[in-house]
Formats: sequence, structure tokens, C-alpha cells
Amino acid sequence: MFDKVLIANRGEIALRVIRACKDLGIRTLAVYSEPDHDSLHVQAADEAICIGPGPSPQSYLKIDRIISAAEVGDVDAIHPGYGFLSESAHFAEVCQSCNIRFIGPSPDSIRRMGDKSLARENARKAGVPIPPGSDGPVQTEQEAIKAAKKIGYPVMIKAVAGGGGKGMRPAHNDVSLVKGFLAARMEAEKAFGNPEVYLEKFIEEPHHIEFQILGDSRGKIVHLGERDCSIQRRHQKLLEEAPSPLIDGDLRKRMGRAAIKLAEAVHYENAGTMEFLVDGKGNYYFLEMNTRIQVEHPVTEEVYGVDLVKEQIKIAAGERIPAEFENLRPQRHAIEFRINAEDPANDFRPCPGTISLYYPPGGIGIRMDSHMYGGYSIPPFYDSMIGKLIAVGPDRATAIARLQRALDETIIRGVKTTIPLGQRIVRDQDFRRGKYSTHFLERFFEKKVEANQR
Amino acid sequence: MDIKEIKGIIDLMRKNGLTEFEYEKDGTKIRIRRGPDGEPQVIASSPGLIPAPAVLPVSAGVPLAVAPTATGAPAAPAAAPAGSTLPTINSPMVGTFYSSPAPDAPAYVEVGAMVNAETVVCIIEAMKVMNEIKAEMSGTIVEILAENGKPVEFGKPLFRIKPV
Repeated sequence: MFDKVLIANRGEIALRVIRACKDLGIRTLAVYSEPDHDSLHVQAADEAICIGPGPSPQSYLKIDRIISAAEVGDVDAIHPGYGFLSESAHFAEVCQSCNIRFIGPSPDSIRRMGDKSLARENARKAGVPIPPGSDGPVQTEQEAIKAAKKIGYPVMIKAVAGGGGKGMRPAHNDVSLVKGFLAARMEAEKAFGNPEVYLEKFIEEPHHIEFQILGDSRGKIVHLGERDCSIQRRHQKLLEEAPSPLIDGDLRKRMGRAAIKLAEAVHYENAGTMEFLVDGKGNYYFLEMNTRIQVEHPVTEEVYGVDLVKEQIKIAAGERIPAEFENLRPQRHAIEFRINAEDPANDFRPCPGTISLYYPPGGIGIRMDSHMYGGYSIPPFYDSMIGKLIAVGPDRATAIARLQRALDETIIRGVKTTIPLGQRIVRDQDFRRGKYSTHFLERFFEKKVEANQR
Repeated sequence: MDIKEIKGIIDLMRKNGLTEFEYEKDGTKIRIRRGPDGEPQVIASSPGLIPAPAVLPVSAGVPLAVAPTATGAPAAPAAAPAGSTLPTINSPMVGTFYSSPAPDAPAYVEVGAMVNAETVVCIIEAMKVMNEIKAEMSGTIVEILAENGKPVEFGKPLFRIKPV
């Protein structure tokens, strides 16, 4: 087992990794930027080294300074957390060449699965379904009609140069396809300077379902079930739960097997997540893979009784995945709500500032993963997530009730947070019935606007 | 200094409307400042690679981190020296500080040395590469703040300099 680990991250995940190290008796070295000097992860670690000023490119992304700190601190391994350098194949390689263990997959895995189109190619080869689409752009109406016939309606017309949801329009038949095809090309030319469009199957009312996988150095891969992350605002996850209200045991088995098959095809090691879109009819399509630990990992931990970060460290240290991990069943239900320092009343504008009073929630079934404390000043250089509130219960209804209670009792003064939004989501009838898709939040806001206008 | 004494100080500060308190004894240094809304913020000094004990949350949720300065490290200057308002040459990287080009060679600069922007004042070794650090300003070296052979972090003051 490692003697000492450097945590190349900050905020709540750095604290999370430090806690796992302490549980394993491993000494910890935190690196931090100047404004993070008083941050909780710096105080919790055994040692700390400043690696630069606030802006990430000059601190948390400075590979040379992080490696220097690792050498000065004489560490055995580096945990990269999520974000920052966690999916940098180059950083993983530098660690390798400096004889420091990178707690994560190999540089090759990161490359092969981190690239979205390479990953889809690997999925196709492994027989894992991907969203059917035209292979490349369609240049004429005739090509479009032919491709749509192959894919099957409804289809989504997407701009090749588009992204983030821009330049997309659906088509349900040949007539709307031709109309839409011409209009989309015009729009794309204007917006992106490139009129090229391609087609993809339009998955209606999709759920964003992701599977947690673990792989060890002996080639053993297991999955720890799914997380439903459909509740998103502008493609940013807000709330995640496990198990998904949409997935039954049979679909879980099939998707789990697909996830494992794909991970085996690339000899994946350590923790990773396969993302899928699932429609209301039990059809699933592979989207992409995240080759790191994820923000929402706690819901899987609570449902399966596994410490995922500890497992990451153990796997990196050469240990095998325990045999019992192959037969785990979801034991409980867990829901996580991300608390961001944002003002929901002002288009979720980030609100860095000083937390004057902090009273965390507690009681049965409540877990708070956060680096907040009363008096803490949130620096403006990083993302606005200040905590994750996880509620656990024997069933979904209990988890929701506990989440509601915990959101109501949490006090954070000095900055605006997204807690009021969370309080409204848990009281929403569709959410409580488990009836939601990735369109939930935009509809939720529309409902609210209508209600205000009445 | 234990948590009871620190709580006592915070109470005293509140009662008497004090905004800042600094204490140094036997290698332990603690500074407590009350923020704009009256909530105390403890600013511990933690120069270089030093052990930082775990957070101790108190009733108002204010964590306290008392960071003992490593004995023998001349990193934290003693109480208000005459030169404490002079600028410092700070480390631009993480590594090991060396005051001379080789173990048996004389130091690049001593106290009293005149330097200009291009003068090499020390070496910081990182990943087996010896990086020559330049003064980047003109003046006289009045104090050497880093210890030969010891690790330094980004921003760590290396030399105190009296500019021309």
C-alpha cells in the first residue's frame, strides 16, 4: 500500500480523497493555489505545498509544479480527483515516467476512451449500441432522406460545427426532414460558418443513465449499477440518484454487461463511468466514457456500501477487486443534490463570497460532502459547487423525504445557493413519481414562469 | 496554545470590539482577524512545507488551524523586524532551494550584496533541473529567508531586498 499520496485537486473532492487516505493509513500531501491557502483540504492534509496563484492554468493545471511538489514531498502516488488533470493522458504519462503512480487508468485508456469519437468506435466494435446516425455529414436532401430511412424516424438534424445543444432540430418524417435540412444548413452557415449537418437518432424523453465500473490490474472488471443524472441545467448535472426509477433488474443486467464488455475491450483499469441515453422503451445507446471518479460517486457508494475512492487507491496499489463485488445488488436508494454558490433568481450567476454562517444537515440517512465552513471565502477562480447533499433510505420515498428535510434544515448565509431550487424539485409531483427525462428542468422552469404569470 | 485558550481570545476580542490579534511564542504563531461581519477568521501562517494539523470546528463553525513553524526554518521572520515592509524575492516554482551553484562553491549572494534584475541569486532544483533564479529587481540583499537544501513552494519569500 502507498505510504504517501499527493492530491492534485481542491475543494470537496480533495477532502474526499484525503479522508479515504486517512482511512487507509496513508499520509497526505495537498497542493494548493494562493487563494486556497485557508481551504479545508489544505488544513486536513498532513502537509501542503503552494503551487501557484489563483487561476487554474497557473496552479492546479501546472504539471511541472505538481510533479515538483510530488518529488519534494516524496510521494508514491497522485490522485487527480475529477476535472483539472484527471483526464489528461499526458499528465498520467508524466507521472509514469517519474515513477509516481497515477491513481486512475492508463494513459492509453484515457486516450482511447476520452476521445468521444474513438470511444464510440470502440463501442461499435464491442457490439455496444451507439445512437444510430449518418456516418458523417449529409450533403443533399436525397442523402438525408436515405440516411433517415436507415436510422428510423424521428431523427435529429445536427450541425457538424455545433455544440452545447446549438444547431439541432428534430424531424419526424420526410417532409419535415427536407424542410428542416435546408433551414438547418442556413442556420449553421450563419452561426458557425459551416453549413454541414449530419443526422442522429432522436431519442425521445431520454434519461441520462451512467454505469459505474471498476477494473483491476488483473483484467477483472465489475459494474456497480447505474446512476440517473437526467436532471440537468444546460448540460450540467444538478441532482443524481441510484438506482434509476427507469431501470428494472433486467435492463440493469443487460446494460451492465455492455458496460463491462466495453471496458474489457480497452483493458480498463481503476474507476470509470459509461454514459448512456435510455428511452422510455428500454433502448439504450452509449454516449461517452468518463475515465475518472465522478462528482456523483457518493450515491453509488451509499447504495452498494462501497468506498469507491478507497477502491481506486487499492487498485492502483495493485490489489484485486474483491470477489463479492461481482454480485452486489442495490441495497438502498440514494439521491444527491449539488449545492452551488449561484443565484437561481439571477440566471444562476455564480456568487463567490464569504460564508458567514454554516449549519450542515444531519440525522439518519444524511451525508454532506463539502469543504464549506463558517468564515470560508469562496474564491472566484473555480467552479461554484460548494457541497453535495446525499440522502439515503431503504426506498426512494424515504430518500426523498430525508433529502427534503435536510435541504430545509441546511443554513448557508453569506452567499446565495441553489438550495431553494432543490427544495422545489423534491416537492415536484413528476420528480416524486420518478417521471422525468433530461427535459425535466427546462419544463420545470417553464411551469414556474407560467405560475408566476398567472 | 489549545482550543480553550483560542476560544478565550475570540471571546475577549468580541467583548472588547477588537478586530485583530497576533501571537507568537516558541515557534507557534497565530493570527485572528474579525471579518467585516464580525465573524472571526483565523489566519494561520504556514510557510513552506510544514505540518498542518486537522481542522477543529467550534460552535460558530469557525475552523482553526494552528500551524507550528518548523523549528530551525528561518521562514517566519521574528516579531516586526525593521525590514518587514521591504519587498521580497519570492520563489516562482516548487523545488529545492540552493544558495550556491555547487556544494563547495561560495553562495551566489550574501547579506549586503548589490544585485540587479539579471543577477542570479540562487538555484531552485525541480525534477533534476537546476533553475537559476534571477533577482528581477535592483537593490541590496538584507536578509536570506530560505534555507539551503530545503524545499520551497510557489510564492515562498527567498530574500528580503532593499530596492535602490
